[in-house]
Amino acid sequence: MSITEGKYAASMDMWPLQGKQFTRIYPFFDNLKEGRLTTTKCKDCGTLSFPPRGVICPECLSENLEWVDLPTKGTALSVTYEEVGVPIGFETPLVHAMVDLGGVLTLFSRIKDCPMGALNVGDEVKLVVFPVDPQPFDGKKGEDNVIQRVFFCFEKA
Amino acid sequence: MRNVCVIAGGQNLWGVRQATQRDMIQEAGKACFEDNPIIKNKDIDGFIVGACHTERCSFQTHLAPQAAECLGIKPVNLCCRVELLCATGSTGIIVADAMIRSGKADVVMVVGVEKLYMPQRWEIPFSELGTCDHEFDCTNGMGLPPPAFATVAQQHMKLYGTTEEQLAMVAVKNRRNGLNNKKGQMQKAITLEEAMSSRTIVRPLKLTDCCPVTDGGAAIILACEEKAKDLTDKPLVYIRGSAQGTQHQMSANFNNGVWSTWDTLRIVGEQAYKHARVTPKDINVAQTHDCFTISEIVEVEELGFCKKGEGGPFVQEGKSDFGGLVPVNTDGGLLSCGHPFGGTGIRQGIEIMHQLRGDAVKQVEGARIGLTHNLSGLISAHTVLIYGRDME
Ligand SMILES: [Zn+2]
Repeated sequence: MSITEGKYAASMDMWPLQGKQFTRIYPFFDNLKEGRLTTTKCKDCGTLSFPPRGVICPECLSENLEWVDLPTKGTALSVTYEEVGVPIGFETPLVHAMVDLGGVLTLFSRIKDCPMGALNVGDEVKLVVFPVDPQPFDGKKGEDNVIQRVFFCFEKA
Repeated sequence: MRNVCVIAGGQNLWGVRQATQRDMIQEAGKACFEDNPIIKNKDIDGFIVGACHTERCSFQTHLAPQAAECLGIKPVNLCCRVELLCATGSTGIIVADAMIRSGKADVVMVVGVEKLYMPQRWEIPFSELGTCDHEFDCTNGMGLPPPAFATVAQQHMKLYGTTEEQLAMVAVKNRRNGLNNKKGQMQKAITLEEAMSSRTIVRPLKLTDCCPVTDGGAAIILACEEKAKDLTDKPLVYIRGSAQGTQHQMSANFNNGVWSTWDTLRIVGEQAYKHARVTPKDINVAQTHDCFTISEIVEVEELGFCKKGEGGPFVQEGKSDFGGLVPVNTDGGLLSCGHPFGGTGIRQGIEIMHQLRGDAVKQVEGARIGLTHNLSGLISAHTVLIYGRDME
């Protein structure tokens, strides 16, 4: 667009802001870069939250949170194949599965690189971490600053 | 506390519209004033606009003063916007009802609008990536929710034996109900065979199991009983009770993965029945949130019209059709009218107003008590309103 001269517009960005300057849950993304799926657990009441919480435990409102690892392997409890109307940037079919992470957490997640019928109920899935668009931001005068970003989904194990 | 009545309502043509958000606010407002020419724009002392994607698709925040200005309304007691995605319109009605009931305003107009179609179609599903948990669900391509409702359908079929034919029967009924609704998006009946052979979107959901994407608006006027008696010559329709609740936003926190049971709706329904001093048996007509055919099947269960798991047979046996136990989605519902998020709850309220006044396009004879239900987001929030011809 002429008036933005190719500038990055965070208001049109589909990925979460990452990096310590922008989010209190930056450890989630740092851990993800190491292949770890993590979240916050309350050290007072023991509640495991997902998504991770940057400030307080939603259950007891304590700020006493710690980062814990979640299993990176799970089982598909249900599978859906979206054949029409998939958002720009996603492959068709867009596959989603209800994933049971060893009884710790049940997630509804995208399944990567999955042709029609390739994943079935009961199949094992594993975490995939992939790079997404880097996030440029205003730094000191004349300096280009960029945060490298990742996100996650699952694939057939 | 004062009694609150619905005294006017109207909507514009819904569908793929060659009109801006602002145009549609004018169209919906005009249709509402035309429904009851006794009310003038100067009678309105409170104004609420409901819209979800106004910043995204129309680059316009602070919408309420703009919408009021479009309609020549100069409210002195309230002028604001509400947003709760698919339940935005009914949320506006609940806020208006509370304002009037408590004496903070006398005559409130609620306008709900949604402008979604952009010059390039890809923007629609992209914009919807802001509707579930943006960082943790939408990044998985979850915006428009067919995969979530396909999961509900798969589980419901496995647990209760619900069939794809029963899903299709909801579409056939609601398309038939909306056939003569001149403001609706589809206005076309379908046969069971056509529904069963329509294109798969996300198995088991087919094209005719899904409501369309819609531009549109609707407006409704509520007034305290005393003012209502002066401002309408039609039968009074009262808001008897309402309730709204939520228990999750992100998919990971939705009922441990058992999505065919909607506890939040059951609880919210019970609250609304209690406030309205009625039971499910008293409901003569209902507009429930049939964004997908499976939704209506789960809703008639959780709202207590039938037992849990019997939503499939309920539609198959005609219990949700005219002449049945509770006619559901008598104006065609979302499946036939379309679903502009800001407008839907208001459209439902308008249809109940017509049904209870006795002047609906397809009339349920002798209807005295009606119900509307919206769900919003990833089946996250539920909103129920109960209307009656009287308060007792
Ligand atoms: Zn806690």
